[in-house]
Amino acid sequence: MKTGKKVVILLEAVLAVLVLAAVVLMLQGKNGQDMVKVSVIIQNSDDTQWAAFKYGLKMAAEDQGIEVYIANTGETLTVEEEKSLIEWEISNGADAVIVRPVPEEGAEEMLKKFEKRIPVMLVGSTASKDRSLSALPVTESDNYAMGTALAEELLKDYNNSVEGKTIGIVSETGELESVMNREKGFRDRLLNTGIQILWSVTNRSGEPKENLPADQPEVNFVAALDNNSLTAAGEEAAANNLHGAIVYGIGHSTEAVYYLDTGNVKCLVVPDEFNIGYQSLTEISESLRRFFHKVQDKAVSHTVLRRETLFTKENQEIIFTMSQ
Amino acid sequence: MKKKYFRHLKRVNPRGIQSTIMFAFSMIAISTMLIVGIAMYIRFSASSRQEIIQSSQKLMEQAGENLEDYLLSMRQISDAVYYNVIKETDISNKDNDIQQGMNLLYEANRDNLRSIALYNNYGSLLAAEPVASQKEDPNVTSQDWYKQARAEMENMHFSTPHIQNLFNDSTFRYYWVISLSRVVELTNNGDSQLGVLLVDMDYSNISRMMKQINTLNNGQYYYLCDSNGQIIYHMRQIQISDGISSENSEVAAKYKDGIYDEVFEGEHRKVIVNTISYTGWKLVGVIPYSTFNLGMVNIRYFIAGLMFFMALMLVIVNRLVSVKISNPILKLNHSVMEYEAGEKPEIYIGGSQEIRHLAQSIQKSYEQIDILMREIILEQTERRKSELDALQSQINPHFLYNALESITWMVEGERNDEAVFMISQLAKLFRISLSKGRTIISVSEELQHAESYMNIQKIRYKNAFSIDFQVDPAICSYCTVKLILQPILENAINYGVNGMDDCAEITVTGRLEEDKIILAVADNGMGMSEEEVSLLLTDSNRVHKHGSGVGLVNVNHRIQIVFGKEYGLIVESEPDQGTTVSVCIPAVPYTEENRKILEKGNMFSREEMIDKKIQGK
Repeated sequence: MKTGKKVVILLEAVLAVLVLAAVVLMLQGKNGQDMVKVSVIIQNSDDTQWAAFKYGLKMAAEDQGIEVYIANTGETLTVEEEKSLIEWEISNGADAVIVRPVPEEGAEEMLKKFEKRIPVMLVGSTASKDRSLSALPVTESDNYAMGTALAEELLKDYNNSVEGKTIGIVSETGELESVMNREKGFRDRLLNTGIQILWSVTNRSGEPKENLPADQPEVNFVAALDNNSLTAAGEEAAANNLHGAIVYGIGHSTEAVYYLDTGNVKCLVVPDEFNIGYQSLTEISESLRRFFHKVQDKAVSHTVLRRETLFTKENQEIIFTMSQ
Repeated sequence: MKKKYFRHLKRVNPRGIQSTIMFAFSMIAISTMLIVGIAMYIRFSASSRQEIIQSSQKLMEQAGENLEDYLLSMRQISDAVYYNVIKETDISNKDNDIQQGMNLLYEANRDNLRSIALYNNYGSLLAAEPVASQKEDPNVTSQDWYKQARAEMENMHFSTPHIQNLFNDSTFRYYWVISLSRVVELTNNGDSQLGVLLVDMDYSNISRMMKQINTLNNGQYYYLCDSNGQIIYHMRQIQISDGISSENSEVAAKYKDGIYDEVFEGEHRKVIVNTISYTGWKLVGVIPYSTFNLGMVNIRYFIAGLMFFMALMLVIVNRLVSVKISNPILKLNHSVMEYEAGEKPEIYIGGSQEIRHLAQSIQKSYEQIDILMREIILEQTERRKSELDALQSQINPHFLYNALESITWMVEGERNDEAVFMISQLAKLFRISLSKGRTIISVSEELQHAESYMNIQKIRYKNAFSIDFQVDPAICSYCTVKLILQPILENAINYGVNGMDDCAEITVTGRLEEDKIILAVADNGMGMSEEEVSLLLTDSNRVHKHGSGVGLVNVNHRIQIVFGKEYGLIVESEPDQGTTVSVCIPAVPYTEENRKILEKGNMFSREEMIDKKIQGK
């Protein structure tokens, strides 16, 4: 009799727990689970050059079912500012961050500290100048290969006969791994071709342009190794300030495409910014979903655009992502 | 193997009535609930699935209509430009009439339009709205929309989305448009020539319409493709062209309007196809089967929760019902167990009518058992008393004194032979009286005992009466109770023939009647009245005037204890005629087994006695 009572009480308790569990699960289903939040920190976040990157982030966020916040930043960003931004985002519930590192000393160390707390993914470039020393995962195009491809296109245009020609290189910074590798790839490919690199200047965005290509000695070619430098060079070419120098460059904005379309830029190498955004967020999402998954490097492709092939079906899609 | 299962089942099988009732109720309730729950879920799931499909269809019909309206308005603009502006105007006219007409139409529809442009047969721009500078060399004739218009001049052509590559935009923007192109007839200085009219629709309008129906975040989505499966709008358009994702648009483009089941990349899904009129575009709705399940997850939890809750309530109700039903039975059982344990409680009477009846029956049967037990005890006591009485009769000192005195006289009178006879008869008498302590002996031994007794009495009474034994030898081998004839003979001597002359006669007869043995002692004495006869076997308190004091009542009792109430003594008497006392006992063959059974006190039923009789034969 007593055993029977005990069994009934036990059964009642088990059933009550099951009822509660079902109710809790039902309510959870109705309220919806809190979405994972990922914050993205890029310099000059409202710049049109990030359109494809942001579109990639948006598509990945929809596919992965996560929320993406893009921190509002100005034209210049220092390591300290980036650090406080990341801290702010974490305190606001960010589960991971995607960061485009600033070209300054100490960026790698600062980001490494955050990586111990939450997953960190770099985009576009490593934080360390030396790629082999970089400890943080990065999603980027092969910068060295882009530099090489750019030089290759230049040589192709002149059937490798560039003996005696001169060239100037312009970039936003000499401190960022991506730009350094692009330049290295570019220089390596032009080695022993007889072309002479007359100058190599940098102009940081948001700061007064002191080293404009127009102010440099006259050259046959100008190679712009990043989007801002390219659009600036394109603008100068359109204004005929480059003394007839032909512009080659790496860029990923509609302005860059426009200058190519108008013939002010001869050739444009475009990193797949859509996929940089898409792959970086997908990888971060994967690491957040799977406990033992460590964030890995992701490599994306690049495309060579020329005026003649600008409106092919494939290239139209690249412009489409830039136009979002 | 099977045995193992059954053994296990037996172990599981509940033993108590309460748990049995509860187990049975719970099983029935749970099975019913399971069946109802599953049936509910299946029904609900089917109707929910149907509802999702129907609502998707309605949504698609609505979106299709919106798209058709939009495309129709574009066609109407194209028609208006062509028939109201171009056909009415000579392009050589310097008044810019075409430009003005196009401007009016563009301004009226600028929300939906990107541009309107008119090209001549060589691809040269004749007029465009909004006014913009043409690119250096847009190579119009090689563009798809131009080629399509020229290929089929009688039709209007809708292109797939593409970037407009016609005009310079100083804001560095590139517009994603859908081109509606047609060949038009131009009038140039009165001459007719062909040209191409281009109406570029802003893709963002179509994109917006599609985004509006793609707000569901449950895996369900809609896309738009042309009749060749080329995607016009897809929420994952770039992923598809990058190879990250894929879509079965080429197959869907071949479907007619309707609902289809398909498996794409291992995923089962429903595909709803709706054709957009004139363009041949297909609006395709994709509902992965996982969407149906997604919507059902909460329903599953709800049904599971409801079932658990019902089970919870049922356990309580079942418990109450089983307690209500089983409690009277358990109390009854408890009182019976107490009774069995030797206590003497009242049997519990309560609960339903049937249980009350059962309890009353048990109570009554226990009471009867009690009465029977008392009777048995009483019988046993009486039996012991009777046997004691019989023992007393065996050693009646008065009888022994008389016998021994008779022997003394015989010895004194030197009648040695008679003395020897007397002693030998006395010895036989006592041998049978003792019979090794047995109470059941054979009829022959009883008769021997009676004969010895009568021989002694005859000597004592100096042959004052005669004795005659007329016994059927067939009855000698049956059982009888010891010393039943001797008290009857004693009575016959004392009350029947004492005081009579030499003519006093006692006759002992023995015969078998059916399955009974009748031993009768008849005398020709003074007899008795009917009243006396009736008291003879009932009044045990009568004072014995003579004899051992073992009356006929005692003999009758002893016979009935051993053989049953239907046996015993029958007394027949007529005053001055004599008395006959008959002993009626069952014909039970004298075997060791039967003797032991009878001595133990088991009364034979009629059937058993017959059996025994057969065995004896």
